[in-house]
Amino acid sequence: MRIGIALRTGLLLAVIGVLASGFTGYYAYNSSRTLLVGAAEEQLMAATRVLVRQISVSIETFSRHASMAANSPQAAHSLADGDAAVRTRAENHLAALFAAILQENPEFFQMRLIDANDHGIERVRVDRDTDGLVRVTGDDLQEKGHYPYVFEALRQPPGTVYISRPAINRERGAHAGQDKPSIVFAAQVRRDGGTAPLGLVVINVDLEGVFRQLAADLPSGIDLYLTNRNGDFLLHPDPARAFAFDRGQRALVQEQFSAAAVLFDGSTDHVITTTPELVAAFVKQPLSPPQQDAFFTLGLSQPLDHVLKESNALGFTMLRIVLAFSGLSVLLAALLARAITRPLDQIVGAVKRFSAAQQREPLPLERRDEIGVLARSFAEMQERIDAQVAELHEKQDELNHLASHDNLTGLPNRRLFLDRLDLALARARRNEERLALLFIDLDRFKDINDMHGHAAGDAMLRAVAERIRASVRESDTVARLGGDEFVVLVEGTHHPEDTSLLAQKVLTALTPPVPYGTMTLEVGASIGVSQYPQDGQTASELVASADRAMYRAKKEGNRRNNIAS
Amino acid sequence: MNLAIYLRRVLLTALIPFLLLPGSGWATAGEPVLRILAWPGYVDADVVSAFEKRFGGRIELTIIDSDAALWQKISSNQGADFDVFAVNTAELQRYIDKELVQPIAPEAIPNTRRQLPRFRAIERLSRDGKVYGIPYTYAEMGLIYDRAQLATPPDSISALWDPRFHGRVLAYNGGSHNFSLAALAQGSARPFGIAAGDWKRNVEKLVALRRNVLGFYTEPEESVRLFRRQGAALMFANYGMQQVQLLKAAGVDVGYVIPREGALAWLDCWAISRGAQDRTLAHAWIDYTLEESVSSLLVSRQGLSNTIATASGNRSEGKLHWLEPVEDVAKREKLWARIVSGDRPAKVLLP
Repeated sequence: MRIGIALRTGLLLAVIGVLASGFTGYYAYNSSRTLLVGAAEEQLMAATRVLVRQISVSIETFSRHASMAANSPQAAHSLADGDAAVRTRAENHLAALFAAILQENPEFFQMRLIDANDHGIERVRVDRDTDGLVRVTGDDLQEKGHYPYVFEALRQPPGTVYISRPAINRERGAHAGQDKPSIVFAAQVRRDGGTAPLGLVVINVDLEGVFRQLAADLPSGIDLYLTNRNGDFLLHPDPARAFAFDRGQRALVQEQFSAAAVLFDGSTDHVITTTPELVAAFVKQPLSPPQQDAFFTLGLSQPLDHVLKESNALGFTMLRIVLAFSGLSVLLAALLARAITRPLDQIVGAVKRFSAAQQREPLPLERRDEIGVLARSFAEMQERIDAQVAELHEKQDELNHLASHDNLTGLPNRRLFLDRLDLALARARRNEERLALLFIDLDRFKDINDMHGHAAGDAMLRAVAERIRASVRESDTVARLGGDEFVVLVEGTHHPEDTSLLAQKVLTALTPPVPYGTMTLEVGASIGVSQYPQDGQTASELVASADRAMYRAKKEGNRRNNIAS
Repeated sequence: MNLAIYLRRVLLTALIPFLLLPGSGWATAGEPVLRILAWPGYVDADVVSAFEKRFGGRIELTIIDSDAALWQKISSNQGADFDVFAVNTAELQRYIDKELVQPIAPEAIPNTRRQLPRFRAIERLSRDGKVYGIPYTYAEMGLIYDRAQLATPPDSISALWDPRFHGRVLAYNGGSHNFSLAALAQGSARPFGIAAGDWKRNVEKLVALRRNVLGFYTEPEESVRLFRRQGAALMFANYGMQQVQLLKAAGVDVGYVIPREGALAWLDCWAISRGAQDRTLAHAWIDYTLEESVSSLLVSRQGLSNTIATASGNRSEGKLHWLEPVEDVAKREKLWARIVSGDRPAKVLLP
């Protein structure tokens, strides 16, 4: 019972406390997670836009390089001067210019001057090789007229720079650029006032090199994606997915990130998506200068783990807080349970001990709460029970007294006398002592009753009882056996004569008349004596013997103040 | 009865209808199953259900999209995983070599009589007098021309070299096919086997092609884009009618011809695998696909050709050179890489 209340209250409070802190922690963790993912998405999108902007700037820079070289006088002279020596000198100058530009721009694979005639023969060509720049000359110069970057670039409106689709450069002899992802920039070379372009200055740009530089600034863990206008990956953290179309396969951004499909149906130019592993942002960007609806998409992704690392750290902190608060609530629950059950225990103990032994225990009477009320009620109840028990005892004592004493004289009655006689006999037998009985009967008591009424008789009996009691030792028992019969039990008598003396003393005490109102009433008594062990062994024998002695005394004394034994 | 046993019986009884549902495999074991391995577009769902309705049994169709995947699926379990599959004539040879296919009984396929004579006389479909493949569909690499620019259809492959079309010709960027093309253009009877002394001629021919074309394409979409945007007049159609359909869809009025030298072509045949479970049903399937109602779908739905109908225009008249393994793929590709990179003939032919 004690454990029951404490345990149950404690458990309930602890469960409430643990649940409250647990739910609070969980929802805080969840919303922080959502916030973090949202923040990461925004950051990624912002970073993607910055990168797109940088790429656009780079593309414009590359275009400017191509235009600048194409507009140099040497370019036109190389292609169209009538004098072969002038052409050669111009070509050399141009080669030096190309070399200087290549030195400046490590992401350029090669720069070429291509003739619009002679099947697009290369007139000047400087390639980057593993150990420096190479000027390609003579028979190694190739005819490029069948490549889109030549035939499409030559058909462009004057003043615009052609930008090719990104592709793997499969042209043999391209040195460092061979089999590498490239974009080609081609600017027309025109003579002042000329209607048809004389040729092209063509720059092959290392796609990976451009992005390597851009990606170098990205924090670790962030991956870069680039796709062409169809969604084919050009750059992908998994190299097997980049330029898959070049190997007869397809690896599309809209297949890996289905949300990216909206970029290709023209509905939006940016999208953000969260897969179970990644958060990714994609931005679609038209080429600048514009190239016939050409665009690319750039994407950045970040592993979700990475994004949620902070959230996980927060989660662990939350967990610790939740555990701490749970522990605290368990502790508080235990304390609270104790605080509630301790006064209850106190009251229960008090009730138990009170009901077992009527013992009073301290109670929490001073409390002002329900427990105080309970304690005070119980104390009140205790008081009332105590009072009732006391009254009951009193009544019982009275009844006991009534049952064993004579109502009129207050002397023990026959029953109590016989009890005491039995006890005295047992004692005397054990101690080999003597005892004696004086059987006293009043003489002519009936006459008084008849002449003066019962009230006079009663007064007579009360006076007799008082006189007998006064004339014996306190330890001797004086009893009224009924009517006008009294008996005295004398213990510890050493000699029969002592008893006779005592009988005489009693008789003497009874002799004076008893005053009653204005009258005096004459009184006399006959006393029979019996002795233990001479006159009997049992109470009834002794009483009967004393009774007989009394009758003898009455007869012998003519019913007036005589003693017989 | 023990309660647990009773409950188990009740549950099992309740489950029986589900176990018997069709599609769960073992319950339909009595019904014949035909396992077909084919390419996209060869077998449409309505064709499958019509066959199942007429012949009973059930078709399990698996689609492959590359020769490598086909080889892997058939060879992995000695041909026991499939009954019928579609394979091109050049590839078929190695299946015969490895005994992954079994002879077909032509008399069990009466619809072969509907096939055009030229499909019934292809040597490479039989070996030692036994037939291993029944032609089903093919595509040939003819010439596409712009009707607006060419009043009369080109009748020869040499049109690709015609200086009148300089800068208006599109060709395919592929060494193997292009050398075969060059050989055909020079009247060779063996386009897949260039003789040792003929390389110089063919290289020069292809450099000349390079100098005459606008450019080379690799994908159908790319060819269509170039054709439209650059106003091409003539194109070698490596993807055949597929490109014609794309161009027509793009609003270009083009014609398609098989030149008089003939066109390179691939031909897919039905073959029966060695481990086929139901030969009768396999033959019934092949016969069924040669019916007019089925074979015509190849043309109407896929832009492919079938073997039973004479196609419209000049196509049917043309001679077809079914693709064969060439004498030296590596050499063709190496030389072609140099040619397409712009090297001049002398440099191309360097070792």
